[in-house]
Amino acid sequence: MWRGFIHFLKKDFRLMLSGKFFILAFASLILYSCYINFIYVNMDQEIYPVYLYDPQGRQAAVSKYMIPLDDREDFEKACADQYSVGIDLSSGKPELYMLASGIDTIDNYRIIWAEAVLNGTAEGHADVIGTNSKEMKSRREITAEFLFFELSAVGFLGLASMLFKEKQMGVIRVHGILPASRAMFILSKLFLFLLSDLIFAALLTVWNLGLWHGIAVLPAVSVQTGIVSLMMALTGFLCAVRLPDFKQFSLFYLVIAVFVTTPVFLAGQTGVSWGWIVYHPMYHLFAAMKGAYFSEPMPGLPYYAACFGAIILLFLLAHRAFIREMAKEG
Amino acid sequence: MISVKDLTYSYGKDKQALHGLNFTVEDGEIFGFLGPNGSGKSTTQKILTGILKGHGGVVSLFGKDIRHSDSQELCRKIGVLFEFPYLYANLSALDNLHYFSSFYPKEQLRDAEELLDKLEFKRDFLKKPVSSYSKGMRQRVSMARALISNPRLLFLDEPTSGLDPAGAVLFRRIIEEERQKGTTVFLTTHNMLDADLLCDRVAFLSDGKIAALDTPGNLKEQNSGHSIRIACLCQGRREERTIEAEELKNGISFAYDEVISIHSQEPTLEDIFIRYTGRRLS
Repeated sequence: MWRGFIHFLKKDFRLMLSGKFFILAFASLILYSCYINFIYVNMDQEIYPVYLYDPQGRQAAVSKYMIPLDDREDFEKACADQYSVGIDLSSGKPELYMLASGIDTIDNYRIIWAEAVLNGTAEGHADVIGTNSKEMKSRREITAEFLFFELSAVGFLGLASMLFKEKQMGVIRVHGILPASRAMFILSKLFLFLLSDLIFAALLTVWNLGLWHGIAVLPAVSVQTGIVSLMMALTGFLCAVRLPDFKQFSLFYLVIAVFVTTPVFLAGQTGVSWGWIVYHPMYHLFAAMKGAYFSEPMPGLPYYAACFGAIILLFLLAHRAFIREMAKEG
Repeated sequence: MISVKDLTYSYGKDKQALHGLNFTVEDGEIFGFLGPNGSGKSTTQKILTGILKGHGGVVSLFGKDIRHSDSQELCRKIGVLFEFPYLYANLSALDNLHYFSSFYPKEQLRDAEELLDKLEFKRDFLKKPVSSYSKGMRQRVSMARALISNPRLLFLDEPTSGLDPAGAVLFRRIIEEERQKGTTVFLTTHNMLDADLLCDRVAFLSDGKIAALDTPGNLKEQNSGHSIRIACLCQGRREERTIEAEELKNGISFAYDEVISIHSQEPTLEDIFIRYTGRRLS
């Protein structure tokens, strides 16, 4: 049985090579790392500009973060960008003037900042709590996101495109009459994609977090990588077997990308807050991946039990679909 | 070798594909399974090769009901040539053969290069990817794949499709050689010439039922009009006459100067197929 597994492995490895899978993975690795090191870590949010309209000159001490404007029209124009905050002292009592950004959390931050500037308590920088500097926090955050994206979107495509090739060549039918285990056919693909995802995760982590920080989080990251990699590879396998052509697969891929992963990224990365997101399975996988990068406590047993159950279920579905595919007409 | 009793198969509630087939195939026999598209040929072959489960009736291969046989053991004893040459396009002929043969016990295998030589495969292409091969070359590699494990039972689906006439002759010779070695051949085809030249017995399948089963010779004899058409020259004019075979015992009874041709009027397998099933093969 294991002899057969080795033959499947060799064949799948050659298919991955001829499909330029490793070149693409390596190019993604370089691209992500360049973005993280040259762009993301240098990015910072511009501080909310605070404009002061004080025609009577009641505010004696004007903070360095405050921009006084004399003309009411200029004041309103400056505050119209949904980002800046205005302090109107024309009535004698400070009143905040701002256009809503559409996101409550951000508007609350703007208010807090404007009040701190008005009260003279704003320092212009945040205190570092814990062991992560701002740069290290950014590195952990974006590396977790890129890895999750790579596994959920690109990894899903990788195995599916390989299987589509085999389907188009018709060789899946030949496997129906070979004295080889059908389960091994699936397992060899899973093994190779899992291995390449683990290597990818290790390189991405060590390159972008640094050797020691990277090694410290690698065991937890590898566990989460393994879970997401297996789930997405099995989903890709299942879709490639069940869907008749690549056009339909591309549409399905869009649905996955738009409706499954996008809400997770939005909820995890922006100020968007949705109560229902806790029912989204990918959200928990994403949260666990981020947790692994920030050395947070591991998720509980129910999380791992659900993941294990999902992987087994997907494997059984993939196995069943594969056997049906072998019996199809040419 | 193969015994099929009351074989039925349904793809759904109203999609009965096979309606109680009964036939046997003896050791070392070439058995032709002929029928138009959708008649149930492929379904039968898939059941016999163990790909399709859930059939009714009893199917025995090598003396064992396939429901109770070890599927991997069964696969080791059979070779299958599909209608289309299914191969890894990125691998060469040799790599394909090495890969597919790697699942069989080594002592059972034939030498891949020797086999390709026998199939008159161009040596220059041995290590080139299959994507650069013509259809005939792919068919040769597929045939080599089916034969490489020295199967005791060979399922061939349209073996000469995509081959030029010389290639078809070569394939027929190889199939005949396999039979002489003792291999049993289950041949599924539309090609009446292949069936006529190769098969010991043929079964005509139509709408999931066997309409006739016999040797090609017997089928022709039974369906012959026993008449003979003679073309001759008589006083400078060409004439054609059809007479009963019995009449020939006493020689040609009508006046003639020169015989141009004598035709036995024996029906072809295709004529007989149409007679039994009311349908054409393709």
